[in-house]
Amino acid sequence: MATILVTDDAAFMRMQLKDILTKLGHEIVGEAENGRLAVEKSAELNPDLITMDITMPEMGGVEAVREIKKHNPDAKIIMCSAMGQQGMVLEAIQAGAKDFIVKPFTAERIEEAVTKVL
Amino acid sequence: MNQYTAVFLDESREHLQAVNDHILKLEKEPHELALIEEIFRSAHTLKGMAATMEFADIASLTHQMENVLDSIRRGQLAVSTEIIDSLFLATEALEEMVEAIGAGQDGKKDVTALVGRLEQLEAGEDGPGASQSDGEQEQPALDELQTAMAAEAEKEGFFPYQITVTLSDDCVMKPVRAYMVSQAAGELGELIKTVPAAEELEAGTFDASFILFLLSQATVEEIHDAVSGVSEVMQVEVIPLKLTDKAANEENSQEETAATQVEEEAPAGQSATRKSKTIRVSLERIDDLMNLFEELVIDRSRLEELARLSGNNDLEETVEHVSRVSSEMQEIILQMRMMPVEQVFNRFPRMVRGLARELEKEIELDIAGAETEMDRTVIEEVGDPLVHLIRNSVDHGIEAPAERLQAGKPEKGKLSLRAYHSGNHVMIEIEDDGAGINRNKVESKAVENGLITTEQAQDLADEDVYKLLFSAGFSTADEVSDISGRGVGLDVVRNKIESLGGIISVASAPGKGSKFSIQLPLTLSILSALLVKVRDETYAVPLTSIVETILLEEASIMDVHGRKMMDYRDTVIPLVALREVFDVPGSSPEQKSQPVVVVQKGEKRTGLVVDSFIGQQEVVLKSLGSYLGDVFAISGATILGDGQVALIIDANALMN
Repeated sequence: MATILVTDDAAFMRMQLKDILTKLGHEIVGEAENGRLAVEKSAELNPDLITMDITMPEMGGVEAVREIKKHNPDAKIIMCSAMGQQGMVLEAIQAGAKDFIVKPFTAERIEEAVTKVL
Repeated sequence: MNQYTAVFLDESREHLQAVNDHILKLEKEPHELALIEEIFRSAHTLKGMAATMEFADIASLTHQMENVLDSIRRGQLAVSTEIIDSLFLATEALEEMVEAIGAGQDGKKDVTALVGRLEQLEAGEDGPGASQSDGEQEQPALDELQTAMAAEAEKEGFFPYQITVTLSDDCVMKPVRAYMVSQAAGELGELIKTVPAAEELEAGTFDASFILFLLSQATVEEIHDAVSGVSEVMQVEVIPLKLTDKAANEENSQEETAATQVEEEAPAGQSATRKSKTIRVSLERIDDLMNLFEELVIDRSRLEELARLSGNNDLEETVEHVSRVSSEMQEIILQMRMMPVEQVFNRFPRMVRGLARELEKEIELDIAGAETEMDRTVIEEVGDPLVHLIRNSVDHGIEAPAERLQAGKPEKGKLSLRAYHSGNHVMIEIEDDGAGINRNKVESKAVENGLITTEQAQDLADEDVYKLLFSAGFSTADEVSDISGRGVGLDVVRNKIESLGGIISVASAPGKGSKFSIQLPLTLSILSALLVKVRDETYAVPLTSIVETILLEEASIMDVHGRKMMDYRDTVIPLVALREVFDVPGSSPEQKSQPVVVVQKGEKRTGLVVDSFIGQQEVVLKSLGSYLGDVFAISGATILGDGQVALIIDANALMN
């Protein structure tokens, strides 16, 4: 079981991820609706894993990965992207994100990503 | 999945509205990339949600919207009217689908035409797709130089490996996976070659598998584990290579596998979205709360009455406190039901734009006071009348550009929509700078329809003539147009506004334009009323329609053509005895002077004769229910403090 911080600007998406992750036996310790909050909360909660949406207001996912990595190089981040965001995903990976999943999510894919990253 | 639907709908609607707003702005500032970003972001979120909910049509349409927006963002496509139109059409289709889902349907819609249109737009100025590889497979072997490198490395304990990686079939972003695999392998040593070449891996122009050549000190197992650690990798094969040639001893820098193009991400959310702490509560709950509170208001009145009768001081004090607290609660609950009129105003920019294009007019819509709050029920009801009035202004009010130029006005017509609070009311005004109302036309039409005679028409003031517009079956459009001349006149608008307890009026100046003003109550369900006694029964008259109360001497009641009239401030107004209208049983007390409530609707006044005034009270309007249907001159009922039911009088109905 891991502690996870879920980041997405759509409450709907957060709800879904939360559901799937909880069913996989993990604990959602926080939710953030933009990159800036994710940076703050990751420092505060120090989760085992962070899921990170890419397109968000205030601060996007890629920038958030860079920020989080700056303060905590060991942070484990999985990007949640939609199709057509290849460039951004690549950037995020280069910035240190461990894996990515592409919407629409399947529970299997999420499970694979989480297991591999942890 | 049901639990998500409500959230999905809410968020989708919000995003669609944002898309709408931003497209409108984009039309005015086609070079504002921040707007494109915003639209893109909304479309993108919608796509993600829809795909998850398996609304394939929404997802495919938003996906294509994204492509077009992306082309614009990257400067490959310029914003044109056609693009704006297509985006609007797409948004409309999305709205339809979302609403269909809201109505419990499957949200399916044939979007192929729209998608095709967007695709065409995208392709229009878009060059041929990015680097197309010729697909020719290179020989999976090392060239001379690489062999040399390998040989050199071998001396230092680095062994060459050939790693064949197969990605899973449903892998979506192959290039990124390939990058991750390269990265994982690279951590164990040095990558000297990939097949296909690094550029092709980056472009994603390869089938499911690719080959890496790695110089490493790690074992086969270690390499295998590292590469398998990447998600969506289906199969990994690691083979140690045997070097055949002795290689030249040449130092060489190795080509980098990964492109290091670091693109600064545009500041997506520049709009300072102020964050106030909010929670979403379903409307039903607020309505339930409101209903329960209404019950409480009734009990409160009853409690006040009982406490007064008991003469117990402590009880009275407590009840008084309860009353105070509950008044404050009432305020808060009412506020919870308030929504900004924005909800209704939001749809107008697009509507006006559409109408203007259809009619080939140029119109600038100016909205002010969209943040003005009103009760939700009023907002829901007021939409249609406003649509009607706006259509009316666009169609009949504002002239065609040529006509405007002739009249010495700017080509572009101006339509203002304003909302503001005024006392216990909300005012909504729709003003245009068009031709104004043509008095003669209204007059002749009214005479034609038998509303007035020619003689009467001559005596009427301008305002009175304009008021005829609101009479039943009246339309002055030269020809029946698609926009507003559907035989539904402004009388429908007036009826609707009046049924909401509002008042509509119009002012106009020939050649300068006209202004429709609507006055609406802040809330509908709790109202202040004057309680009156009519024989054995109690009635409530809403304060909003009362002008004043009078004790009328029996002697000053006049009899005109069999109708009772009274003198009222230099005019004569009709008297209506409620006991007769409602056929109230019992007998009225003998009294020298008659209590009269003077009520008003527009300019019309009428005196309602009652037996006595009881006092002013907050009452909760309860509808009579469908089984009683429409009862003449009764708008609802309320329960009084003593448990009795009082009917609420619809004063408007008694005027005619």
